[in-house]
Amino acid sequence: MELFSELYSCYYQVLRHLLLNQNAITMQDIRAQIIEEGFEESMLSIIPKLESGTWNLFTKDGELYLSKLSPSFLEPLSDLEKSYLKALLSDSRIGLFLTQEQLEALNDMLASVTPLWKPEQLYYYDRFADGDPYDDETYRRNFRVLLHAQKKRQYVDIDYNAPSGKRVHHYYVPARLEYSVKNDKFRLLAFKHTGSRAMRLELLNIARIQNVRTTEKTLASAVDLNALIQNSYYKEPLRLRIVNERNALERAMLHFANYEKNTVKIDENTYECLIYYNQNMETELLIEVLSFGPMLTVLGNEKFLDLLKARLERQTQICI
Amino acid sequence: MSDFQELIGSFPKTREYVRDFFVYGFKTRNDFKEKSPRTYDNERRRLESWLAPYVRKDYAANGSNISLAIDSNLLDTNPLFRVWQTKSFTDNDIVLHFLILDLLQSGEKKCAEEITDSLLSEYEALFDVQAVRRKCNAYAKEGLLEKEKIGKKVVFSLDNTLSYHLRSNEDILDALAFYQMASVFGMAAHALLQHLNYHNRSFRVKHSFFVHTLEDEILFALLNAMNRKNAVQISIKSSRSENIRTVHCIPLQIFISTRSGRRFLCGYMRRYKRFTCFRLDSIKNVTPVELPDEKPAAGKQLDKSIPEEAPSKNRTSKTQQEADSPEEYDELLEKLNRNRDKLWGVSFQNESRHFLDKLRMTLQVLEPSENYILNRLKLEGRGGIVTRLSPNTYLYEIEVFDCNELLPWIRTFTGRILSLECSDKSVEQLFYRDLQTMCQMYQIKTGDEANRTNER
Repeated sequence: MELFSELYSCYYQVLRHLLLNQNAITMQDIRAQIIEEGFEESMLSIIPKLESGTWNLFTKDGELYLSKLSPSFLEPLSDLEKSYLKALLSDSRIGLFLTQEQLEALNDMLASVTPLWKPEQLYYYDRFADGDPYDDETYRRNFRVLLHAQKKRQYVDIDYNAPSGKRVHHYYVPARLEYSVKNDKFRLLAFKHTGSRAMRLELLNIARIQNVRTTEKTLASAVDLNALIQNSYYKEPLRLRIVNERNALERAMLHFANYEKNTVKIDENTYECLIYYNQNMETELLIEVLSFGPMLTVLGNEKFLDLLKARLERQTQICI
Repeated sequence: MSDFQELIGSFPKTREYVRDFFVYGFKTRNDFKEKSPRTYDNERRRLESWLAPYVRKDYAANGSNISLAIDSNLLDTNPLFRVWQTKSFTDNDIVLHFLILDLLQSGEKKCAEEITDSLLSEYEALFDVQAVRRKCNAYAKEGLLEKEKIGKKVVFSLDNTLSYHLRSNEDILDALAFYQMASVFGMAAHALLQHLNYHNRSFRVKHSFFVHTLEDEILFALLNAMNRKNAVQISIKSSRSENIRTVHCIPLQIFISTRSGRRFLCGYMRRYKRFTCFRLDSIKNVTPVELPDEKPAAGKQLDKSIPEEAPSKNRTSKTQQEADSPEEYDELLEKLNRNRDKLWGVSFQNESRHFLDKLRMTLQVLEPSENYILNRLKLEGRGGIVTRLSPNTYLYEIEVFDCNELLPWIRTFTGRILSLECSDKSVEQLFYRDLQTMCQMYQIKTGDEANRTNER
């Protein structure tokens, strides 16, 4: 079983799509497919092979290329893929996606397969202790309704228990279901109309949803989720200075690897790192920065610096 | 640059480059001192080609800088899965892949000679029968084809039932869309989704540390050894000194941090009679070995550092196999599970050489507005005990192997810590010293300084 294998090659993927075309295709179609799925320089390797017929997979008719494969062509799964699937069947979250019957059917098909890993072989030692109740039937039902609505861009009517204890009732369009590895929780990223007919992004804990009901209404056109998220980022990023002592540089770079960041070397042992974030991420980022102690210096923005100083001032008032 | 190839034959070397660019993102040509400029140029060009949409170029005083701008909040997949799609292949490989699999779609069983003949008659593709047999055997080994012997004939066939089942089942495809970013070996889910032409447009994963996909080959080798209850020899490269050392251990479990994505192998080192964790991104190579029957000399003090182990010539494989019994493996695993309760992170021993160290942190928690802090202690405190001492004052106490590991978490409560005591005094000292340093850095007057100012 190989992980790094040509079976999963990008070139095979490009060819797979080209070969599944029922109609004859032109070189222009081929180029478009390479641009879509290939690497930046793949054109230079793939085109000559097809033009020369070295990759004898098409019948050429003048300028047209006709696939030699049958229309029903489908590749079997590799052992790696089967083994991966088998491992998922033991995961605590699989019941969110598959019913018991679907699970049993898949299990039967993979009866002779050894799972790629077993849950007990992996130990998440710093995961929060209150993960979502994946076995709870209401939770599963809500999850499925939201997923279905998200794909159809349907409005949903959500009855929600806010962290403040307040019961909230609103209409949303699910944008994404976001899983947090650290919290072991799903949150719903949802669009909500503001008074001015514009859309705002809200976050709801799926475990706090009491009831969800789909409506007949759908969102007419797609909303650019990433633009909404990026627009929510502060104009001034967090600016950190990192002095590379106690392996702080590598630790910080790995720790903040899930944020958009830009790092430059200032001198032999000093680096400056810009981290982009929004208000929702602020407290978590502040805590993460504090966890590094004096290994990181916050240079800006002012708001973040003020938050950090306020924590230190309060600390000095009670003990130091 | 005439010999530049976009695809590569071996993963490990490239793993280092991608990791460096991804993690640090500020290395220029001059920073790669170990490699020749030409190697650097080729690796950089490949990286730019594979990950073009995510590459950012900056111009620094010491040369141009490329980095990967990857914001996991904005992505439906892990861009670094593309690195797994770069394996080079021959012209025969790709043509035989599609033609053989197409030829066998009907489920018919054919021997290599029949396949070779059919390739010519049905696809006008002429191949040597040996090449076809080799490919069929390789595909049988990878699970793509079934291989059986009928009489004297070895035949190959293809079973597509599972592929059809997946393709027609959107629920499974959704599960794959989710797990590609939320599970280990996400590249396998990504490959499946690509085969089945399905894209994730429903899920995002927060705290998904993309770079760790690069360690999956190492993880795979370790899990294989764990499944066989084998010992392993691992080569470890120090991130500080760049030195490579070799150690033997019995791999027991993979520890994963959800806060940094870091993964560790937790193994038992028989030679030192103790559990130790090794970062997966520092492991360069894993070789399954039969376990040497070594015991430390009687009364010998266990050294904290683990020196390189020279391979012994006089180890007999029979003795080694007997020593490495599945029962012993299960006992070790059970022992590890018992020890895990006293583990904060990945360190099984402390500086003070106590068996366990005790830490007590008293916190100011303004009730009820700051009760979420109590929630944090409960959810993140890994079994530590929380006691209300008086209104607005709480005590958190825990006993673990190495209290040093607690410090980053303790610091997240800055602003609320009334006192910190630890049986390992160096932990206590480091905490207060760091706090003083931070106050100096941000020009915050400490209690003493403030009093002195007031007295003046």
